[in-house]
Formats: sequence, structure tokens, C-alpha cells
Amino acid sequence: MNHNRREFLRRTGAAGLAAVSLAGRGRAAERAEGRAARGSTGLPAGWRTLRKLDAHNHVFTPVQRPNADWAEVENLIEAADALGIERLYCSRPLTGGVLASIEAVREANDSVLAAMKRYPQRIAGYCFVQPGNGPAALDEIERCLAAGMIGVKLYNQFKFTDPVVFPVAERCIQHGIPFLGHSGFLTDPRALAQQPKASHALDFCALSRRYPELLLIMGHVNGGGDWEWAIKGLRDCPQVYLDTSGSVLEADTIERCVRELGHRRVLFATDGTLEGGVGKILAAQLTTEQREDIFWRNFQGILQRRRT
Amino acid sequence: MIIDLNASVGHYPFRRLSHRSPEEVVALMDRHGLDRAVVTSLHAVFYRDAHQGNAELHAAATAHGGRLVPVATVNPRYVGWERDLAEATGPWKMKAVALWPEYHGYSLGDSAGRAVLAALAERNLPVMLVQRLEDRRQRHAWDRAEDLTMATLLEAAKQHPRLRFLLVNWAGLDGARLAAAGLKGRCLIDFARQQVLFRKEVPKLLATLGAEAIAFGSHLPFDYVAPSLIKLANLEHLPAADHERIAWRNVAEFLGL
Repeated sequence: MNHNRREFLRRTGAAGLAAVSLAGRGRAAERAEGRAARGSTGLPAGWRTLRKLDAHNHVFTPVQRPNADWAEVENLIEAADALGIERLYCSRPLTGGVLASIEAVREANDSVLAAMKRYPQRIAGYCFVQPGNGPAALDEIERCLAAGMIGVKLYNQFKFTDPVVFPVAERCIQHGIPFLGHSGFLTDPRALAQQPKASHALDFCALSRRYPELLLIMGHVNGGGDWEWAIKGLRDCPQVYLDTSGSVLEADTIERCVRELGHRRVLFATDGTLEGGVGKILAAQLTTEQREDIFWRNFQGILQRRRT
Repeated sequence: MIIDLNASVGHYPFRRLSHRSPEEVVALMDRHGLDRAVVTSLHAVFYRDAHQGNAELHAAATAHGGRLVPVATVNPRYVGWERDLAEATGPWKMKAVALWPEYHGYSLGDSAGRAVLAALAERNLPVMLVQRLEDRRQRHAWDRAEDLTMATLLEAAKQHPRLRFLLVNWAGLDGARLAAAGLKGRCLIDFARQQVLFRKEVPKLLATLGAEAIAFGSHLPFDYVAPSLIKLANLEHLPAADHERIAWRNVAEFLGL
């Protein structure tokens, strides 16, 4: 079986609509419309064409290199086309707790920049930084923003309560850009041992109390870890947003987010689980306005606050 | 028509499920257009005497006139399990048997596991193996179960070459390795934790094992149903017969419904 994007689109009858990478909002909706006539048992009418901005995703491969393999990025765009996701906000964090050098960080960000260049209307970038790189990390933020990125992504190298993170937060405030942080309240000892400095809801609250003007997003409520704990932990921290991404698709997650935090703090995202990420927003018991706010309007509001 | 291969009823001890009772589960199926669901009893997993859960499930399935297709649970470390197996699959007509080695304190390769697998093979009853109920990274302090592994599965397949497998709520399955272990044609995999788009795990399994190996599954009521409905919609490019197989026919044929 051929898994490449062109063949997939040909077989789905959408190739004419999805030829290249020039899709903006209208084109993404058109592509999804091409499939909307097909059966979607049990799903709301027109679900593919509902506007969607994916606030947390990734470019996983080093596509900045010569002769790079673009298959994974192409698969990402193909999936976004099919699901009606207008734009994917991507980063490439260096994982495993690695205190990456600034050179490695730059290379990672270059892969996102390459993807942005290839798909300018579909992929936007978060700048990954390793706060331990000090002033060089701040310089990297400036480089990324100058190249068109929209925010900063931090992983689990340091707890977000660590003072080493504070200059990064201050630089985000200066530019009015979002700070998207990896999160997880890990109750499994082995999982916790793998990322002992992963921040959880209370760490986000502490950072938000120190910097209430920071556009702080707690990443992937369903990215592993106790999501009920995560939601409850954010109740008294009204400045912190929460994104809905992750591979866990447990029922009630979205309703609990809305009930405990209010729907305006909830951002649609997938973190690579695209069908599941869209599905849980469609399945959740929400009003039309709440669903639209979560799918795109809340995140658009964050982006409009940028000063850069 | 859709038959969901990956569903359960009952309370789960570590998280409140909004749809627990058989009536609530059927209402959830109605809301999402699911015609039938192959269900296990969570009570049977956690009661000391699993067969009490089977009895509840039998009553629930009978009350709902075929909407719920019950799967028996057998604990081969519990006294009288052979008689329980006979009752569940005889007069109660349950079409498959779920084993929960991680919850019942044995392994598929030890004497208890080998005995029950051999008994199922002898009776031509499919075994259902659920890789996990929840992501382990959020486990309750009392939840010490681990995910079933591919190695465990392949060894069981090797030891019991006539046994048929329902592989429910699995991720990370390698179709080529399953085929090499002789599982092509004798396993049915639900796609609740597999992606059609982007990661393309479902197309890869289709390529290696064929359309007869894949089934709709949602892991309700733990998980939202809509993600799996989206996956089914994203498979509409398949030939109609293959799509129908995945939506319901494979389950019906595998279980003789």
C-alpha cells in the first residue's frame, strides 16, 4: 500500500483541492469541504469545515538539512487538510531532559523555520529554547521572532519555577508572545524518573503569579499524567491557558476543563494526535460558541496580543 | 452499521466514568450512531470472583436485546474457573473470553495462563487481550498493572497456534511481526489507539494484515467516541467492502454474530 500524500489524496478524491501548500483559511476549508460530502456517521454535520487552529504541534524531523525527508511533515499537512485544521503551531523541542547546547537548539529551530518556509500558510513556529543557555537563549528568541515565529516553547529541562526560566518569561512579556510549556503531573514513578523536572499545574500557577501579564499556556492536558489533577490545579490561576492536546482521549476531559476553568482558557491542540484531538472537541458537550472559541477564537486572541 | 469492538460497562475504581451502567452505555452508543458494542465487564476485572461480573453482564446484554455483545472474563487463578467458562460460553452464549493477567496476578506464559489459553483454543473461543485500560502515567497508587507487551502476545500466539485473538486497545503493533508469528487471519485489531492519518498505523496494518484484521473500536466509556468515528470517516476511500468490514462485518464474522 502506498502511504504517500499524493496517492492518499488521489484516492480520497481531494487531490484537485489539495495540490500544494498555498492554503490559507479558505483553502483549508475548501479541502475539507471536498470530503464533507462523504459519510461521517455519528459526527456533527460540517465538522471538517469548522475553523481550527492547532495551538500545539511539532515538526519532528530535521527537515532543514539538505535532501531532507519531508514525509512526516507532508503527512502532517495531509492530516490537517483532511481535518480542516487551518494552521499548525509547531516547535521542535529537544527531549529527554537534555541540556542542549545553543547550537543544537538553533538546529532544532531551523527545522521549524524550514517547514514554515515550505508551508507558509499552514505551519507557524514556536521557538524552542533551553533556558540554561542564558543570554544565548534570549538571542535565539530574537532570531526566531525575526524569522516569523509567534511564541516560545519550553520543555522539561527546568521546572518553570526555577529562576533560570524567568528571563525567558520576561522576554515573552516584552514581546507579548505566548509561552507554551510542556506539562505533566506524573503519578507513575518510572514516568516521573524519566522527566523529574517536568512542570505541573502548580508550577504554572507559581510562574503566573510571579508574571501575571505572561501569556502562559500549559501544554497538553492529555499528554500523560493525571489530567484531573492538572485541571483542578489551575482553578485558582486565571491567567493560565490550557491546551487540549495529547494522546490520551479520555471522555469528560474537555467538559471538566470548561466547567473548572471556563471555556475561554481552553485552546484546541493535538500534539500529533490529530484525529483524536479534533474528535474530543467535537464529542464534548459544548455550545456552538464554546466550541468555536476553543477551536480557534481563543488562540487567535492570544496571537493578536503580540507586539512583535 | 457500526459495531464497536472496544467497549466496557461498569464502574472503574480509579476514575469516574460518566457512562457506567448498561443503560448509560447504550444511550452513549445511540448518541454516536453505534449499532452494537462488544463489551467487557469492568466489575469482572476487579471483583475477586470475576464470574459475578459475568452474571451481571449476561443480564445486561439480555435486557438490551443484542445491542451489547458480552465478552466473558475468566480468571484462571480462581477456583472453579473451568465451570465458569463453561457457563458463560455455554448457556450464556458469550462469544469470546477476556483475560486480564495484569489484574489477576498471572502471566500468559505461566501455568495458569497456558491452561486457560489452551482451554480457549480447544473450544475455538477467541481470547480478548486488552493492552491497557488507562495510560500508566496517570496511574492510581493502587493500580500496579502494566501494559501487555508485543513480546507476550507473540509468545502466546506461538504457544497456541490455533487460538484466535481479539487485540483491543493496543498501540505499537507491528503488522509484519504479527504476520510472521502466524497471526494473519487469526487476529482482529481495533483502531482506538491507532491513527489513520499522520502516523498511519491503520494503513500500515491494512497493508500487512489485510482489511479482515481491522475493526472499529472506541474504548468507550473511558474515551470519547468521536475520534474513532473520524478515523472511520477517513477510511472512506477504501473499497466499500473493506470499509464495511472495518465498520462491522469483521467483528460479526469473527464472533459468529
